[in-house]
Amino acid sequence: MSDRQIRDIGFSWEFARSAEPEGLFSVEEMDLDMIQDAFDRVAKKQKLSSSKIQELIDQVRREIEQATAKLQMTENATGCSDPTSILVDLKTKLNEIAPMKQLESLQKELNVGLGKYVKIIEKCFNPDISKAYRNVDFDVHIVNQIIASHFYRQGLFDLGDCFISEANEPEAAALKSPFMEMYSILEAMRCRNLEPSLSWASKQSERLLQNGSDLELKLHQLQFVEILQNGSRSEALNYARTYLAPFASVHKVEIQKLLACLLWAGRLHESPYADFMYPSHWERLAEEFMQQFCSLLGQSFQSPLCVAIAAGVQGLPTLLKLESVMAAKKQEWQAMKQLPVPVDLGREFQFHSIFVCPVLREQGSDENPPMLMPCGHVLSKQSIAKLSKSSTRAFKCPYCPLEASVAQCKLLHF
Amino acid sequence: MDVDMVIDSAPNGDASSGAASAVVPPAPTAPAVPAAPAPPPSTARFSQVSESLRLEHQFARVPLEHLKKTIRTNYRLAEKEVAAVISSVAEAADRHDAVSRDDALTQLSSLVSRLQGLKRKVQGSRAENLQTQRCRARLEHLDSAANTDKLAEWKDVRLRRILVDYMLRMSYYDTAKNLAETSKIQELVDIDVFLEAKRVIDSLQNKEVAPALVWCAENKSRLKRSKSKLEFQLRLQEFIELVRADENLRAISYARKYLAPWGATYMKELQRVVATLAFRHDTECSTYKVLFEPTQWDYLVEQFKQEFCRLFGMTNEPLLNVYLQAGLTALKTPLCYKESCSKEDPLSQEGFRKLAEPLPFSKLHHSKLVCYITKELMDHENPPLVLPNGYVYSTKALEEMANKNDGKITCPRTGEVCNFTELVKAYIS
Repeated sequence: MSDRQIRDIGFSWEFARSAEPEGLFSVEEMDLDMIQDAFDRVAKKQKLSSSKIQELIDQVRREIEQATAKLQMTENATGCSDPTSILVDLKTKLNEIAPMKQLESLQKELNVGLGKYVKIIEKCFNPDISKAYRNVDFDVHIVNQIIASHFYRQGLFDLGDCFISEANEPEAAALKSPFMEMYSILEAMRCRNLEPSLSWASKQSERLLQNGSDLELKLHQLQFVEILQNGSRSEALNYARTYLAPFASVHKVEIQKLLACLLWAGRLHESPYADFMYPSHWERLAEEFMQQFCSLLGQSFQSPLCVAIAAGVQGLPTLLKLESVMAAKKQEWQAMKQLPVPVDLGREFQFHSIFVCPVLREQGSDENPPMLMPCGHVLSKQSIAKLSKSSTRAFKCPYCPLEASVAQCKLLHF
Repeated sequence: MDVDMVIDSAPNGDASSGAASAVVPPAPTAPAVPAAPAPPPSTARFSQVSESLRLEHQFARVPLEHLKKTIRTNYRLAEKEVAAVISSVAEAADRHDAVSRDDALTQLSSLVSRLQGLKRKVQGSRAENLQTQRCRARLEHLDSAANTDKLAEWKDVRLRRILVDYMLRMSYYDTAKNLAETSKIQELVDIDVFLEAKRVIDSLQNKEVAPALVWCAENKSRLKRSKSKLEFQLRLQEFIELVRADENLRAISYARKYLAPWGATYMKELQRVVATLAFRHDTECSTYKVLFEPTQWDYLVEQFKQEFCRLFGMTNEPLLNVYLQAGLTALKTPLCYKESCSKEDPLSQEGFRKLAEPLPFSKLHHSKLVCYITKELMDHENPPLVLPNGYVYSTKALEEMANKNDGKITCPRTGEVCNFTELVKAYIS
């Protein structure tokens, strides 16, 4: 797709978005009440139809039973008729009832109701969200590995094993043991046992500090409080001497607070430092432990599958709209190197600083980095080169009256 | 130099954040860079959820189709039985010879028991009620997304639903059942529907065509409406199997009966397959050799799966792939492929990078800047400040740093030290 074409789509997209509140870009609330009411109507019809069918069956059966009774009456030979005429009567009766016709019309009416409901569903929902799907290589093995890692990371170990064996992906179990370790430490913490976490933290002591985390100290603090709670003042004091002292130089104030707790051994809830005992303290520490554990493992805190799917849910409506706008240009859809329009994602998906030059509307790169002008406005290097035409002449900033020369512009690092 | 200029473009940050930033009205004349008006925050969040509900067509449609199918089956049964009863009576009444009392009684009583049997089946058919209930449960579940307290849970359930769908499509049935049960989402997934497909798929993998043909017969009218050629392809395979077994005469009569009717629409293909009569199954001629390959059965399985999904209103790709692809392309930037990419970005992981390779990059029309220190957005409320060495951080981060360090700033990336007073504000649009 030519640059011009890309720009054209981009501009008309923005224009349509701001100018057209209805139609392609409308975001009306989905009317679930209406859909639920419509379904209730259909369900009612279905119940009615079902009971009518049963009535019909009963009716036919009754006629046959009556005919049977008449046949049996002939044993007594009073006012009786011969079997054939009884059968003929029965046939006529049944023709009057016309059960087949009734069945047909019941079914037809029900089908009409169902058809209407289907149309409502197709209108309120997007009937085919796979329209924006690109037929590119989507390696099943990679997807399976991602899923397996996801299961293990969420603590669903049995499920992960079941999946790996069914999908036949033995290599996907790479992350299983680290996460098993993490969950066993967390389980111990839940039971107020800090031993496993302390031993992990001391092994990772240096790396934790490099990461800027004081997790080890926090764990020792909590352990200190636990010991204190269970009464033994001298034990607590020993613990403080052994484990808290090394941190004393950096975290003076907190350690002092803790040592003061010694005065309330066994009845910490009466002390001014009672908040050390709250379960929320434990929960927060467990979360921080998880964060550090994942970080040292080179993994994200949130499951990447979770994040990617959530981004997909937010982005898919825009991609579908884009696809429908480009419906006639299937080839270009498949081959495009960059989306021609932005997909708005929430803040939680912003992992990188992206600079877009306000003049050229191009994204910054190593070859075309952002530059700060003396007036405080930021343009891309190429824009500045264009504006200055030669490298020594001063040029005017597009956004304010101030002039600057290329040499006065500073390269920025976001 | 503190120049306060109003820049005539959209405010910093994404439109959906909609915090106290001034709403810039759209340019009155047309296409050149209009500003997208920022919607107010609370409804923005909700409309995002509402938009995502629109994507749930399959969720609402599948139990409905299942219900329709059950209704159809029950109706056909009733129709068949009642018709048989009526015609049996008519036949008995129209007989020319006299019918004995006993014969008549026997016949009528058998009809009565037939009707009783039918009624039992129709009444006892809890399937319709269960499926109606399921349709309702699905709509209720969608409704519950409006409950903002439980939104995180709802989203977690959505991911599990998507995973169950993937498992079912890939035929990992045990995992699907396991996941559905542990998550307690059996009402929200379609395992029973897929198990019906499983029977046919298993038989096709066993090189049996019969169950698939039965399925086609059951869904004849709908397959016809969608101009499906599945039945034709199944018949072709049966023909090939006859040829493979050297049963040429049977093959020919089979072709006459079952393949000829499709000739009008698919003549070329018909001719190609029938031509295999002239070759044998161990032919080396490539055009015909391929028809004898076992991979033809795999192809049939795929075709069946697609028809099946279409009939039930399902997408023809697993939901996981659809959402994953959309997410990857929305997240994909050139910075993701660098060493310095944050670990929180899924695209920092090897597997995700590989999957995203053939996908287009995302695009932004306006800058979105993230503070290296706090990972927060640098916008009008939290503008970027520039150090003398050109490195940029957010105002909040630098103010905090200055407060803790007597007004001194140390660049976390280069180690250079400077004063807070030396910082310069940058204006980004």
